[in-house]
Amino acid sequence: MEIIKFENVSYEYIRTDEQQRITQRFEAIKQLNLSIEKGEFVAVLGHNGSGKSTLAKLINALIQPKSGTVTVNGFDTSVEENIYKVRKSAGMVFQNPDNQIIASVVGEDVAFGPENLGIKSAEILRRVREALESVGMLKYFDYSPHNLSGGQKQRIAIAGVLAMEPDIIVLDEPTAMLDPLGRRDVLKTVMKLNAEKNITSVLITHFMDEAALAQRIIVMEGGKIAMDGKPAEVFSQVEKMRELRLDVPQITELNYMLKKSGVNMPLGILTVKEMTDELCRLKLRA
Amino acid sequence: MNERLIIGQYYPANSVLHRLDPRVKFIGSFAYITMIFFAESLLSWFFAAVYLFAMVIISKVPVRLMLKGLKSILFILIFTCILNIFFAPGETVVFEFYFIKITLEGLLLFAKMAARLVLLIISSSILTLTTTPLALTDALEFFLRPFAKIGLPAQEIAMMMTIALRFIPTLMEETEKIMKAQKARGADFETGGLVRRAKALVPILVPLFISSFKRAEDLAMAMEARCYRTDIKRSKMKELKFQRADYSALVCVTGFIAGLIIFRYF
Ligand SMILES: Nc1ncnc2c1ncn2[C@@H]1O[C@H](COP(=O)(O)OP(=O)(O)O)[C@@H](O)[C@H]1O
Ligand SMILES: [Mg+2]
Repeated sequence: MEIIKFENVSYEYIRTDEQQRITQRFEAIKQLNLSIEKGEFVAVLGHNGSGKSTLAKLINALIQPKSGTVTVNGFDTSVEENIYKVRKSAGMVFQNPDNQIIASVVGEDVAFGPENLGIKSAEILRRVREALESVGMLKYFDYSPHNLSGGQKQRIAIAGVLAMEPDIIVLDEPTAMLDPLGRRDVLKTVMKLNAEKNITSVLITHFMDEAALAQRIIVMEGGKIAMDGKPAEVFSQVEKMRELRLDVPQITELNYMLKKSGVNMPLGILTVKEMTDELCRLKLRA
Repeated sequence: MNERLIIGQYYPANSVLHRLDPRVKFIGSFAYITMIFFAESLLSWFFAAVYLFAMVIISKVPVRLMLKGLKSILFILIFTCILNIFFAPGETVVFEFYFIKITLEGLLLFAKMAARLVLLIISSSILTLTTTPLALTDALEFFLRPFAKIGLPAQEIAMMMTIALRFIPTLMEETEKIMKAQKARGADFETGGLVRRAKALVPILVPLFISSFKRAEDLAMAMEARCYRTDIKRSKMKELKFQRADYSALVCVTGFIAGLIIFRYF
């Protein structure tokens, strides 16, 4: 069952001057078609300005398409009454951990979403504890978020989304401002939620090693989907990736270079383990 | 308490006052501040002071912190003292030296005013030292709620305060960072006259403003994404709820009011 569906979606940013006259139009999403199945873990890659964040905002009903329809969990995001249902079922985590935490106490911040939904106190408390537990931050319940690390703050932001009990979580470059340790923790959390709670995850990132962990990769370019497939399929097209001004994981690059210089091995190797296995196999055969 | 950042003056301790409902503490402080304007006789002053001293002891907050608040009014005290000494009317002269004339009435007037100020500051310090800013916000929202009928957005005001509290440390840290960056480029914030120093602040304020706008934009989006809306009543994870101690405290406050009114005439 598809939980996110884009049908011929276009979106345009419009700049106006003081007199509300249009000075500039920019079509950030162009005639885009996409469907994502329930429980999928999709990574979205793309050069700066390719329309990734716009795509994310369309899923969360923060913006509505100019033409075409976006359907999330069966709700058309263009219909006024659906907006809060869509936002409840598709939670969103943003890039800057500091700019999305609302309260000065961790527990209170996680409670923000459920409070907006008008849920009863006892139930909110239960959800907040459960959400903090599943991101491994329960012991920080009554801490101030201010002194926590970036990775911890992002996990609190994830807990804030979880407390609304969403079906989908969209993360817009959640690890861009984090150190390697923080990145690892955040990614682990996302993968765990996807695996254990079957939460459909859409991870926008510019780290290829993160994208390699997904079940599916979508590459955006100029407001359109340029590539769509399994990580091995996408990354094996090294030249096309370069054309789109993107890198591939180091090991895939090595794989590509070996292949190009005549070594007999398949393309699409993503991990060091796969590479060593493949090399050992070659050695045995030789 | 290591990582918990204390904003405002909150002093964490485990006392009855800390645990009281913030609304009760608000009422208590308000009642106290109002009542000390009724104090007249020596006995009533004594009563008010003893009552407050008892509160200080119960609060388990070091007296040193309580007195810190007084520093800020020291100037006002000295100023009114001088004014009273020079200009207070009265016949009973206690000291005269050329044009300086100190009268008993003037001294009494000053003493009363000083006592009032000191008690006022200490009583409000007890409130802010024993109540977290978040709890204060909740109490404020409660007291503003009746005004929602005449269009006062109580819920939104409370939300604004919550966000302000959240961002004060972030912005302070950012200011510090910018200042350091400017200093590294040779900026000088410490020397020169008032104008020069004010001018030196411009390169700090401009980036601070720009980044604050960006933050505000991001935050607004994050809040919307989490279903924030102003057209419905939000629920709360922690509802304010009176416990037995809160009722006892209200009885105590009533007792104080009655006591002061009675002692006033002795
Ligand atoms: N608020 C905006 N107003 C005008 N143009 C915008 C706005 N936000 C994004 N754009 C433009 O839309 C394009 C896509 O932006 P975005 O979706 O943020 O890309 P990405 O997240 O992939 O970097 C960019 O060219 C950007 O300049
Ligand atoms: Mg972006």
